[in-house]
Amino acid sequence: MDLALTEEQQMIVDMTHGILEEHCTIEAVRQVEDDPRGYPEALWKQFAESGLTGMLIPEAQGGGGQSLTEAALVYEKFGEFLAPVPHFVSSVISARLLIQAGSDDQQTEWLGKIASGDAILTPAWLEPDRGFGEVGIQLKAKADGEDYLLSGVKRHVYFASASDRLIVLARSGDGVDLFLVDPNAEGITLSQQLSQAGDAQYRVDLDNVRVSAKDRLGSAGTGWATFNAVLHEGIILLAAQAIGGAQKVLDITVEYSKERVQFDKPLGAFQALAHYMADSTTHIDGGRVLVYEAAWNAAMGRSISRFAPMAKLFACETYREVTRVCAQIWGGVAFTIEYDCQLYFRRAKQLQLSWWDTPYLENLVASDVLDKD
Amino acid sequence: MDFDFSEAEQKFAVEVEQWLVDNHDPEVMDLTRENFSQLADTPARRAFMKRLAKQGWLGMSWPKQYGGQEIKGVYEFILNEALARHGAPQIGKGVGIIGKTLIRHGSEKLKKEFLPQILSAEVEFAVGYSEPQAGSDSANMQLKAERVEGGWKLNGQKMWTTSAHFADWYWVGARTDPEKKKHDGLSLFLIPMNHPNLEIQSLPTIGKDTTNQVFFEDVFVPEDYMVGKQGSGFRYIAEALDLERFTMFTLSPIEDRSNLLVEWVKSATRDDEPLRNDVNVRRTIAHIVTDTHVAKGLSKRFLSAAMSGGDKPPSIESSEYKLFTTTLSQRVCKDALDITGAAGQIREGEEDAPLAGRFEGAYRATLNETVGGGSSEIQKNIIARRKLGLPKNF
Ligand SMILES: Cc1cc2nc3c(=O)[nH]c(=O)nc-3n(C[C@H](O)[C@H](O)[C@H](O)COP(=O)(O)OP(=O)(O)OC[C@H]3O[C@@H](n4cnc5c(N)ncnc54)[C@H](O)[C@@H]3O)c2cc1C
Repeated sequence: MDLALTEEQQMIVDMTHGILEEHCTIEAVRQVEDDPRGYPEALWKQFAESGLTGMLIPEAQGGGGQSLTEAALVYEKFGEFLAPVPHFVSSVISARLLIQAGSDDQQTEWLGKIASGDAILTPAWLEPDRGFGEVGIQLKAKADGEDYLLSGVKRHVYFASASDRLIVLARSGDGVDLFLVDPNAEGITLSQQLSQAGDAQYRVDLDNVRVSAKDRLGSAGTGWATFNAVLHEGIILLAAQAIGGAQKVLDITVEYSKERVQFDKPLGAFQALAHYMADSTTHIDGGRVLVYEAAWNAAMGRSISRFAPMAKLFACETYREVTRVCAQIWGGVAFTIEYDCQLYFRRAKQLQLSWWDTPYLENLVASDVLDKD
Repeated sequence: MDFDFSEAEQKFAVEVEQWLVDNHDPEVMDLTRENFSQLADTPARRAFMKRLAKQGWLGMSWPKQYGGQEIKGVYEFILNEALARHGAPQIGKGVGIIGKTLIRHGSEKLKKEFLPQILSAEVEFAVGYSEPQAGSDSANMQLKAERVEGGWKLNGQKMWTTSAHFADWYWVGARTDPEKKKHDGLSLFLIPMNHPNLEIQSLPTIGKDTTNQVFFEDVFVPEDYMVGKQGSGFRYIAEALDLERFTMFTLSPIEDRSNLLVEWVKSATRDDEPLRNDVNVRRTIAHIVTDTHVAKGLSKRFLSAAMSGGDKPPSIESSEYKLFTTTLSQRVCKDALDITGAAGQIREGEEDAPLAGRFEGAYRATLNETVGGGSSEIQKNIIARRKLGLPKNF
């Protein structure tokens, strides 16, 4: 047992930190809030040059072939710097969907470009008034000769306007299927929806959008199994991101509490506040080690059916609670746009509500524990 | 990064587990005593400790010159967790707190007298730090130690000396230098527990076990039964607590309780509906299982830090572990009672009690875990100061 990072892992962390420190300043983060593209191009270029965009893509397909453990360390940094990038939707979810289910042609066409940062792909998954599970996918894929016609509404499609392809989850006669769809295709309307965290997310209306069966990922009816497996990996990284954000907001809060004086004492000298911070750091450390263990299990090829949802459940709850407590410690200024605390506060809740929320994750864990005999 | 125990460590864990199964004895192993099952307080339990000693499992991490094997502390961790999982007596006090303090600070005489006896499980200790006016503020001990011809004379009172009614020796902090600052005026002594001038009064608890008050009246302690240097007692106590806090609150009983609850929920019904289909029950179970993994992670964090062998004991890691785990321990009991519903109140031992009343009993027995061994608030103080660098103001 040795929870220390290897030299190579430390190098990746340091490199990521260096890039973010230079290109993902708080000003840069604030600038792209509500922006239709949603990410700073200079930052994305750095990601591409450094290989971060291809880290989870096998070397043979132009990526770095790293494991989920390294990716988790990188995502902790994304959380720390609030990195507004399409990395998760493109380099993680879309790339892994292609790797799991894509044909040779599809992989050849897209994986290299995702790895080089030249293409951005994003999943179009959730639907209005529907949940996070398989039954939530009701967007119609009507067979029409060799083609399908897609009709319905998707929401929370991140970076859709900057994307080269959407991966649309749709229900055909066979079950759930995944389709590569050009967002500029006829019948598609993108409308940006402002969100709590100010990211670039879109409502996507599809009206008889024609796609070829060749653009389906994997064999008919296997879409949900693929997506479910990939998202299990993905949420470990979001959990790491939550831990990174929680750590950073706590760090700046601890510093503030040593400087700000009331009743002739620094705030940190008030035990009520000190104990909030002690609880926070304990939960963050506990969450971090859970997330690392989840990622490490995935990297070792072990089952993550329990670890992955546990990691996101705990990490996102921790992030939200830590931001609440930190805002309390900052006092009135936490409520202002000027101070940074609010940036974490808004993102923490949004992250908890996205990519499987608390009730869904609780149920995943409970199923793994209670429903298997 | 590696979350697994090494092959040799895993082999040891299997060996210990097998041995505990082979040596199963309900008279010795009683999970329902919860944290108190760590005490070797009956002849059968003491005989069990002797068998452990024969296995060579006591003092494994000690230096060879004192009869140890100089192997990594992780083996003691594995052993202790296994003992706790079976409700068997544990090794923390003698091998850990007292043995290791003697090795670091004791005289040759005390080492010669006590270390072999600890290794062969021939001696049981009681630990006397707490007093009426010295609880969390343990440096505030008032037990008076006056210089007399050939040694010291002790007068005053201890509170909460858990093992006083069965132990052989008493490991006691007393004030030898009242004129010095409170942290610098304490010294440690070893006193035979059957000293005629000690009066032991039982203090029954709401758990299954009792603790004690101990009254000192002119208790003479010879010079050479002072441990280490005069005035350094508090430093030794704090150091040992940092190192051993971990062994006092084991994780495996919490895991065991969580598993017990899970298995029960899988088969229980309410109003003819399987309980496991109840959304609230599912939520609760999800959180118990998740938090138990987090606690385990925090223990691995501690272990990893300890094994990487810095010069300081990983006291922050152990405080975080203790804080999180003891809180969880109580919550698991509370949640379990909520899940069992009205029947949860039926006293352990009554025929109709769900799960043989394990959680009714544990709900009571775990109450002290967030207080003893440094309360949750004290752990938070430690974390706030030592880790976050917040001002020392409380
Ligand atoms: C069953 C049992 C067995 C025990 N066994 C032993 C034993 O074998 N040997 C031994 O020496 N002791 C033993 N103890 C004593 C135990 O270590 C003390 O109970 C513990 O240290 C707390 O002290 P106290 O009970 O006096 O509570 P207090 O110190 O009076 O604390 C009361 C409350 O105040 C809080 N508090 C105190 N100081 C602060 C602070 N600075 N900041 C914030 N909050 C604070 C505490 O957290 C707690 O919530 C035992 C206790 C029990 C109940």
